[in-house]
Amino acid sequence: MAALDLSLRLVPGATVPLAWRNLVADKWRLLRSSAGIAFAVLLMLVQLGFERAFFDASLAAVRQLDGDLFVMNASKYRFGARDPFAHRELGAIRAVSGVASAAPLYADWQDFFWTSPIDGKPHLVRIFAVDPDQPPVFLLSGIADQQSLLKAEGAVLVDRRSRRFLGMDGATAAKLNGQNVRVAGNFALGPDFMSDGTVITSDREFARLTPGNRGSAAALPIEAAVAKVRPGETIAAVQQRLSAALPSSLMVMTKPEIVEFERKFQAQLSSAAPIFFLGTLVGFAVGILISYQIIYTDLSDRLPQYATLKGIGYRNSYLVRSVLAQAALTGVAGYVPAWLLSLAVYRIIRSVALLPLHMTPQLTAISFALTLGMCLLAGALAIRRVIAADPAEIF
Amino acid sequence: MNMTAAPPGPAIRVEGLNFAYGQGDAHHPALFDVALELPPGKLAVLTGPSGSGKTTLLTLIGGLRTLQEGRIEVLGRDLAGLTTRELVLTRRDIGFIFQMHNLFDSLSATENVRMALELGDRSAAEVRSVARDMLERLGLGDRTGYKPRSLSGGQRQRVAIARALANRPKLVLADEPTAALDKDATLNVLALLKQMTIENGTTVLMVTHDHRIIDLADRLIHMVDGHIASDVVLDSAQRVREFLKSVEPFSALNPADLTGIVEAVTERHFDAGEVIIREGDEGEELFLIAEGEVEVLRQDHEVARLGPAEFFGEAALISGAPRNATVVATEALDAYVVRKGELATAMKKNSRFREQLGRFLVRRR
Repeated sequence: MAALDLSLRLVPGATVPLAWRNLVADKWRLLRSSAGIAFAVLLMLVQLGFERAFFDASLAAVRQLDGDLFVMNASKYRFGARDPFAHRELGAIRAVSGVASAAPLYADWQDFFWTSPIDGKPHLVRIFAVDPDQPPVFLLSGIADQQSLLKAEGAVLVDRRSRRFLGMDGATAAKLNGQNVRVAGNFALGPDFMSDGTVITSDREFARLTPGNRGSAAALPIEAAVAKVRPGETIAAVQQRLSAALPSSLMVMTKPEIVEFERKFQAQLSSAAPIFFLGTLVGFAVGILISYQIIYTDLSDRLPQYATLKGIGYRNSYLVRSVLAQAALTGVAGYVPAWLLSLAVYRIIRSVALLPLHMTPQLTAISFALTLGMCLLAGALAIRRVIAADPAEIF
Repeated sequence: MNMTAAPPGPAIRVEGLNFAYGQGDAHHPALFDVALELPPGKLAVLTGPSGSGKTTLLTLIGGLRTLQEGRIEVLGRDLAGLTTRELVLTRRDIGFIFQMHNLFDSLSATENVRMALELGDRSAAEVRSVARDMLERLGLGDRTGYKPRSLSGGQRQRVAIARALANRPKLVLADEPTAALDKDATLNVLALLKQMTIENGTTVLMVTHDHRIIDLADRLIHMVDGHIASDVVLDSAQRVREFLKSVEPFSALNPADLTGIVEAVTERHFDAGEVIIREGDEGEELFLIAEGEVEVLRQDHEVARLGPAEFFGEAALISGAPRNATVVATEALDAYVVRKGELATAMKKNSRFREQLGRFLVRRR
């Protein structure tokens, strides 16, 4: 009924909802056109969902960081690439007034191999290391509250939402870089498009397991220093003081800045954004072709009727409104089933690919706007046929 | 045939109209120097073989084609001087009955009619009631909610006619509007058109070969090869005279007596099932059937059926006795009615007429 009202309002004062009647005149045709448009909408929804899931997965670790300010090497181009700075800078950071604490975060994305208890083969994993005596670096429950377990030698925390072939969920013992480790606890973070699984260790364990590194934990280069600001101090003021006190080879970011830093890399520098953009564009283009075909056929079948309307005194503007209203309604008729179907598709992808694929109001709004745009564009292209209809030919 | 307050000037004026289709080798002239003037409130019939330019002339007058040469004035507006928008608005004052009815299959009968009504400035409630009334008037009161697909060809044609006439247009342009209609429906449509010419001053220009319509036309325009070959103004007296001359006892009247009767004749329409005279009533009138059929009943038994060019009701007039039978219209009926006084005068003057009428009476018994 809402659709009926819409088509009535598009033609003010009308008692005949022509666009709506034309849409529902032939049930089978409506079913066919809905299916065609739903196909294109689903293509777009999956691409848009993937894009969102990609960003959500890529930013999951950064979003879980528990700090007010983050000090990193200024040459770092993204959070998720190794570029550590000297351990001694930690002292300089702690010396700046307003800094309540500064915990080191060590990380590696390329040198740690987890031997899966499932296939017995070593797989590359992401590793974060913390100093168990310092305040927690991650917000995630399972890390923050189990940090003290890492004090035991050979203890690690693993991500139970890692990809299944790593066998982290339920594992009690495994090998990391060929050395035996004991799984002391787990947390739920999830993989991203680069790492299949995540392991968290203490700084000492990290030093022990790093290939070729036999140095002490106290000398390990730091990936990021996670600082908290004293109560009563503003983050911005402390950020300024830190920047002034530290060498220019280091940069200081707030939490929103470090999330944006990583997001910007994914959006602008990685190949992900153009891939998903093109995928969505293909869905959009397919949708235009399908809806053009649907609308054009419908208009062609009713051409004598439209010509008659022109003959008896209807202006082109009415015909344009009516055809566009019908195109929009056609879009809605395809969108609704596609949206419902996408919930199921998302669920499947979520469980199979372990990606955070969720329908959101934003995703709904964007995909609906694209659907309307695609149908209105197709309607605008097809309408030339009605404009060109000659009422003299039907007398 | 009175006409109420007619707007000044003709409804249609065509002067020096030439029209050709195509260009170069495909150049095909369709109309040559056509001139025509139709006063308001007249029913004009356009006849002629196919390809004689009838439809082309209609589309030009209707503003559906671009004028090439000549001048067309419709309802006082010079078509050549109108902007596209004004031309579209002018078309709203014209009721088009197209050869193809072109109803929207997606819309019900009443919605198809409402599509035309919405062009006017009626309220939504008026639009609904006028559409319903119009369909009822055309015998489709029980079909208003039907989609064209579930209507017969004749019913669809009537929906299209309702759409064209719903706005009570000042000009109706029709192309074979009764081709798909049976006799009753045709008479019904004609009665409606005729009523609009009288009450509304509507001018009707109609392409048709239906003799039932030609008989009722005020004007008969015949086209051949893009020319107007003949243009005859028929008045109703002339039509009645032609009709009476074809009915046997009346054909015996001399021209002067015939004129006396013709002047006294009135036309009357009866609906199917209507009782025209009732057994036992006093007889005042004689009825001649122009179109339609009646049944004659004596004591509720059918004794005869009468059709066009036959008459009834004469017995009581001659004998002065009450009606000896009941006569009921079995379908829509158009009749010419002669009153007792005029008939008596004619019988008194003309003994041969009296004899022939008397002989009919005997034969009927």
